[in-house]
Formats: sequence, structure tokens, C-alpha cells
Amino acid sequence: MDKPFEKAVQGLETGPEASTPEAAGQGGVESTGHPSVAALREKFGAAILKAVVFSGDEHCVYVDAERSAEILHWLRDDASQRYDYLQDLTAIDYGGGRPLEVVYQLWSNTHKRQLRLKVTLPLHALEIDSVYDLWRTSDWLEREVFDLFGIHFRGHPDLRRILMPENYAEGHPLRKDFPLRGRFSRAEQTRLALSMRVEDYYTPDELTIGGTPVAAGDGLAREGRVGGPSEAVKNTTDPMIGGDIPISQRAPVPGGEATQGR
Amino acid sequence: MGLEGRKADLPTVPEGGHGEASFLTTKLDFLVNWSRRNSLWPMPFGTACCAIEMMASAASKYDLARFGMERMSFSPRQADLLICAGRVTYKMAPVLRKIWDQMPQPKWCISMGACASSGGVFDVYSMVQGIDTIIPVDVYVPGCPPRPEGLIYGILMLHEKIKGEKLSEKSLRAEDPLRVGKPNRSPEVIEAITGPFGNSTKQNRVSGLTSTAALARPTDRLP
Repeated sequence: MDKPFEKAVQGLETGPEASTPEAAGQGGVESTGHPSVAALREKFGAAILKAVVFSGDEHCVYVDAERSAEILHWLRDDASQRYDYLQDLTAIDYGGGRPLEVVYQLWSNTHKRQLRLKVTLPLHALEIDSVYDLWRTSDWLEREVFDLFGIHFRGHPDLRRILMPENYAEGHPLRKDFPLRGRFSRAEQTRLALSMRVEDYYTPDELTIGGTPVAAGDGLAREGRVGGPSEAVKNTTDPMIGGDIPISQRAPVPGGEATQGR
Repeated sequence: MGLEGRKADLPTVPEGGHGEASFLTTKLDFLVNWSRRNSLWPMPFGTACCAIEMMASAASKYDLARFGMERMSFSPRQADLLICAGRVTYKMAPVLRKIWDQMPQPKWCISMGACASSGGVFDVYSMVQGIDTIIPVDVYVPGCPPRPEGLIYGILMLHEKIKGEKLSEKSLRAEDPLRVGKPNRSPEVIEAITGPFGNSTKQNRVSGLTSTAALARPTDRLP
């Protein structure tokens, strides 16, 4: 048997070996030179647990779970930071009982800078503040992380499954303790899938094809659920984040009529 | 082996089992089957790369219209043949079943490609392991994805199957209203035909340094 093939077969019975610190996301060298990292350390002190840099320029800041929303709010609004674009929000499970990590990948359109924020959550307390009010794009991203990892986002107006069927009862598939084929037998999975009635789980608005598009917040409000933009977003004068304000009513972007029709 | 050699595998109706086959009924069967198999309107249920090959089959070079499939029927109400091309997730399973239930008789089904036929390489929590657990299948086309020639060969096999049908065989087109929206097979059969095999027997474990080793059929394990 060839050596490479042997390596592929190794450990199939026992599962993967313990990850090295690098493979478990614990590598990297101390971050220096990123202006936001220094500012964060100065502003929040002990809430910044550590800051490392991967691959030369990927700066990653580990922050305290309790203060993550506050720190993200400051990163978005402070004039020296202006991380106005949430590129991605996801989570990582390194397995072996290690804590889960929630990852925020930020981009500043003003300063053309990138920053990664990580929050570690122990398996017995998978709860974190939602950033729905800061970036509306986090709506579906947080639903996806909830669906696949089972992390609860406090303050999310509509936290429910997004990829898996609503009647899925086997847990959260991207967790490392989730068996590859699921927890139920194939017969039970088939029966459960075919018993799914979408009318039970979705509002008529969501099931309508065509017609006048309705903002998600409006649909939720009509169904009696909490939804829609926060007061902070509604009353903002910042044209960059006034997502729900009609373009005609927005404050004009300084020196940029061309951006009005975006 | 051509189609001739496979005739033994095709479903046959016992002679005389449903009244004497007279000159009139055999000629009527011939006429009906001829018209049915030469005007099969397909309902394309394309969910993955197989759908690209299905589109290529319908385009000018392979030209499915030669076989009376001039029109892809995007409504199940006007379709005779469901071509399931691509992997089907459990979330999509009720959709597939509903489309099949909406198609009027006579109707047939081709399962195109490895994923639709058996789940393919996707032996995971979210994938249907063969659409025959959901709906009855007439012809399976292997391949990943099958070339247009493969799909056309499957369609011609279906033509052969339709040739052997008889109007007097009532059970052939019978449908039980109580089975609408239900799995196509009993739980025992689904378990039997969706079990892990080959390399996939090595994957029934979770991460985290422990092995679950919870295989129902240890004889299927690779040495």
C-alpha cells in the first residue's frame, strides 16, 4: 500500500487526532501595526483578550463575550474606525469539547481596512448579543449560525432555522458532535421530511411569489412578531446605515448625487 | 448488451390474466403505446449539474425533440415524464413528491444521475438516498453526470417499457389517494436500500476523538 493512501486510511476508526494549536485557530503571532487593534486596547482594556495576526495581514481580535455588542457598536460608529460593512458572520467548532467561536469579519469603506473579531463561547453557554441593529445583513447570517451551530443570538427579532427544514429535529448539523448521517434513521428522516407542511411554518408573505415586494420587517410586524428596524436605525442621520429610510427622505450624501440611486 | 437483451428484465403482463388478448385490444395497445411513447412531455426537475446535461440533451446537437419531447413542460399538469436530474435534499423531498402527485396518469419517472438514484457521494444528513424512497422510478440513468447519450439511452429504455404496457392491466396506472404525500416505500425497505456501503461505512463517526462505531451492518465494512 502506498504511503499517501495509508495516511488517508489512518484514524478512520478512531476519528481525528487532537488538533494542533495552529489547526484549532490558536496560532498566529501577536498583532502589531493595525490601528484598530491599538485603539481597541486603549478603549476597552481588559475586554480585549488577545490580538493575533495570521498570514501577515489578517488581524484578529478576541473579545469578551459580554461586551462584544458594545465593542462592535463602537467599531461601526467611531469616526476613526467606521467598520460599516459586515462582510461575514459565522462560527467555528473545533471539536473535542473546545468552545465555539463566533467570527465577525468587518470592512471599513471609509478607511479601506479589514478586521476580524472573534468571540469564544463555551459549549454550556452558547448565547451572544445580536448585531441585528448594527448591520441588517446579520439578520440571515445569525439565523444561519443559529440553524447550523445552535448559538442563540439575544435580541434577534426572528431567530429560526433558515437552511434546514423548520420541522428538523435532529439538532445543529455543523457541530462536531453531530453524526455525519444525522441522528435519525433514514426511514424516519424520509417520513419527517414528507410530513413537512410549509404553511405551518411560514407567513403567507413569505410564500407569495411575485406581487409587490415587502420589506421583511413589515411582514413580521403584520404577523404580530417583533421586527423592523430599531429606533436607532430609524432616527439615524447617517446615510450609510439608513437602510429602511426611503432614498428621497435620506440626508443627501455630501458631494455625491451619483450615489443617490444605489 | 442492447435493449433486446434486456427484455427479460422489463415488466411483463401475464398473458390471459386479464381476459383474452383479442386482435382488437392488442392493436389498440399498440396504437396507444405508440402515441404515448412518442409524445412524452418531460417535467424537468433539475436540481444540480445533471440538469445541465439534460439541457444539453434538449438543445440542438442532441435534440430531444426527435423523440417527441418537443416541449419541456414546466407545469406538472401537462407532463408525462418526470426527469429528476440532480441531488434531492430532504427539504426538497416534499416538493418532489407534490409534483409527482400533481402529474396526471399516465406518468413515468426517470432518475437521472448517481445522486438522484442513490444519493451518490452525498451520504450525509441532508440528502435523500435515492428518490425511489419518495416516488416510484421507472428508469435509472447512472453517471455523474450522465452524458446526453446516457439520458437518451434511458429514454429509449423507457420507450421499450411503454411498448410492453397493456390497457387491460389496471394496476399499472392505479393510484391510492391515501399514499399521496407519503414515502414510496415502507420504513424497512427504506432502511435496507439506504444503508451505508463501501467507503461510506467508514464515515459513521463524529469528530471529537471518539468513534461512534454504530454501524447497523458490520458485514458491509471494508476490510
